[in-house]
Amino acid sequence: MATVSFQQASRIYPKAERPAVDALDLEIADGEFLVLVGPSGCGKSTSLRMLAGLEEVDTGSIVIGDRDVTDSPPKERDIAMVFQNYALYPHMTVEENMGFALKLAGISKDERATRVREAAKILDLEAYLARRPKALSGGQRQRVAMGRAIVRNPQVFLMDEPLSNLDAKLRVQTRTQIAALQRRLGTTTVYVTHDQVEAMTMGDRVAVLKDGVLQQCDTPGELYDRPANVFVAGFIGSPAMNLVTGDAVDGGVQVGGAVLPVPRDQLTRAAASNGTVTVGFRPEAVRLAAPGEGLPVRVEVVEQLGSDAFLYTSLADAPDDVLHSADLVVRTEPRSGVTSGQQLWLSTDRSALHVFDAQTQQRVD
Amino acid sequence: MATLAPPVPDAGRSPSPAAPPPRRRHRGGSKAGKPGPVTYTLLTLVALVSIFPLYWTLVAGSHTNAEIAATPPPFLPNASLFDNFQAALEQAPIGKAILNSVLVAGSITVGTVLFCTLAGFAFAKLQFRGKGLLLGLVIGTMMVPTQLAVIPLFMMIAELQWVNQLQAVILPTLVSAFGVFFMRQYLISALPNELLEAGRVDGASTFRIFWSIVVPVARPAMAVLAMLTFLTAWNEFFWPLIALTTANPTVQVALAGLGSGYVPQRSVIMAGTLLGTLPVLIVFTILGKQIVGGIMQGAVKG
Repeated sequence: MATVSFQQASRIYPKAERPAVDALDLEIADGEFLVLVGPSGCGKSTSLRMLAGLEEVDTGSIVIGDRDVTDSPPKERDIAMVFQNYALYPHMTVEENMGFALKLAGISKDERATRVREAAKILDLEAYLARRPKALSGGQRQRVAMGRAIVRNPQVFLMDEPLSNLDAKLRVQTRTQIAALQRRLGTTTVYVTHDQVEAMTMGDRVAVLKDGVLQQCDTPGELYDRPANVFVAGFIGSPAMNLVTGDAVDGGVQVGGAVLPVPRDQLTRAAASNGTVTVGFRPEAVRLAAPGEGLPVRVEVVEQLGSDAFLYTSLADAPDDVLHSADLVVRTEPRSGVTSGQQLWLSTDRSALHVFDAQTQQRVD
Repeated sequence: MATLAPPVPDAGRSPSPAAPPPRRRHRGGSKAGKPGPVTYTLLTLVALVSIFPLYWTLVAGSHTNAEIAATPPPFLPNASLFDNFQAALEQAPIGKAILNSVLVAGSITVGTVLFCTLAGFAFAKLQFRGKGLLLGLVIGTMMVPTQLAVIPLFMMIAELQWVNQLQAVILPTLVSAFGVFFMRQYLISALPNELLEAGRVDGASTFRIFWSIVVPVARPAMAVLAMLTFLTAWNEFFWPLIALTTANPTVQVALAGLGSGYVPQRSVIMAGTLLGTLPVLIVFTILGKQIVGGIMQGAVKG
């Protein structure tokens, strides 16, 4: 077990316009479960591969424990990796797959068998040790890939979207199992996913990346409650946070014909760059107000989930010729009786507002 | 006028349950794929046409010269087969030639499969400077006709004093451009990069990865290449005729000697040809089973 540290680490692909990973600074504590999350092409997998030694580090350095591994090959890093497509050796049995790294490390046959059996027991794979990967189900293959990592007892686990090939139900189950297994083993883990629900539910901390740049690294709660910029605000949470941009006017932000009230000092600082401000509020922070108060909206679609209902609305005074599919999303009671086409007025608590400078996209508190 | 925030990326939403990708399965005996009598008739015809020359070799090799020349010709094998074998063995050193051919074709096959797999793996999966140029050069050598290389090649083996020695026919063909290209194409599609990366993370050296991961994956292609190479090497006539003498020939060179008499004895030539073809038939029967794909099934979820 060890700490992991990215220090100004960059990866620039030849002929690329911008770095795939741009001066990444990240400190991962011993035993921590850190999730790298972001949209496609944000550099999360590249970062992981840099840590694995499968991708060069062009500038900066990477440290595992107290050892600078920037230029070390993967085998000298004492890491184990779980690949998205599992990458099990097709011609080896489950037992051989799990024991391959130990065999290469020169560990005796008996010890190998013991360690493979222990891991197989944890992962409920004992009955399948003699099978080849092609005779296993997707979930079992995924567990073999996990087993291959844990038998080595490495300093760091690296996982590159290990659940994305499972069906939705199995994914939720396995998600919990992996998190529990990691807590039990206490091994530092770096986990890559594009799924923010996975990130929020599994990670001790979550690092959000976009275009190769780290946006914010914090606990799931902090990310949700205090997103550092507009991107994180929109990325974390499902349905996403409502974000509206408008000119700063006296007492708030001009949104269509109405004014969304924003505390004065926040408004002043957020409007300092160019006078426009982005305001965000979560669907659950919206209340239905009395007619004539707050933002007038028209309900476009009502989504019934049973436990909640989501209203997808558009600003009532938006021009009709523009298709506004879901400008503002509101969470309500499941059986509120609201129907599509209805006009409503929305208001939010000032305390639930997230205020951003529209130009710099940064949060203002 | 208020502008609204740009749409949030899809990834921010809850994941939609992705439909599992369709699996490839071999469907045996499905209605649409079941062959009818027309298919069987056609296939039988093709098989008969293919097998007839071999059968005729057996028939002609088991009669006397006069019997083959009769009208109508005989259509069933006869008892003279072993007499003709004996005649062939007396006229040319066929026994030695078969042994030589086994050695030559065997060495060339082992060498070609090993070196072409190594080179094909390097070209398919390793990153090194000048890779494209080198591959271009390798493929370019296929455009040079054998005839063009014969004189310089002969001068080289003469210099090495290898004339009439087996290494003169083995060494120049120990690796083939076609084989390198063939293995490269196979490995590019059949060997996922993740498998190599998993090997590297597991602590394997490049050679260990080659031996423990690449070779097992490449086996079906290696078997195909082995069959093609063995057959080509066995049937090679031009270069062995130049590099070897009739005292130390390969099968094809020895067979050529059979037909060179004052009155060519067709039945003896046919019997000798039959002797020279048998080893190839045996090799095909053994390696044919290797060409069962599907070893990659289940390596990565597909």
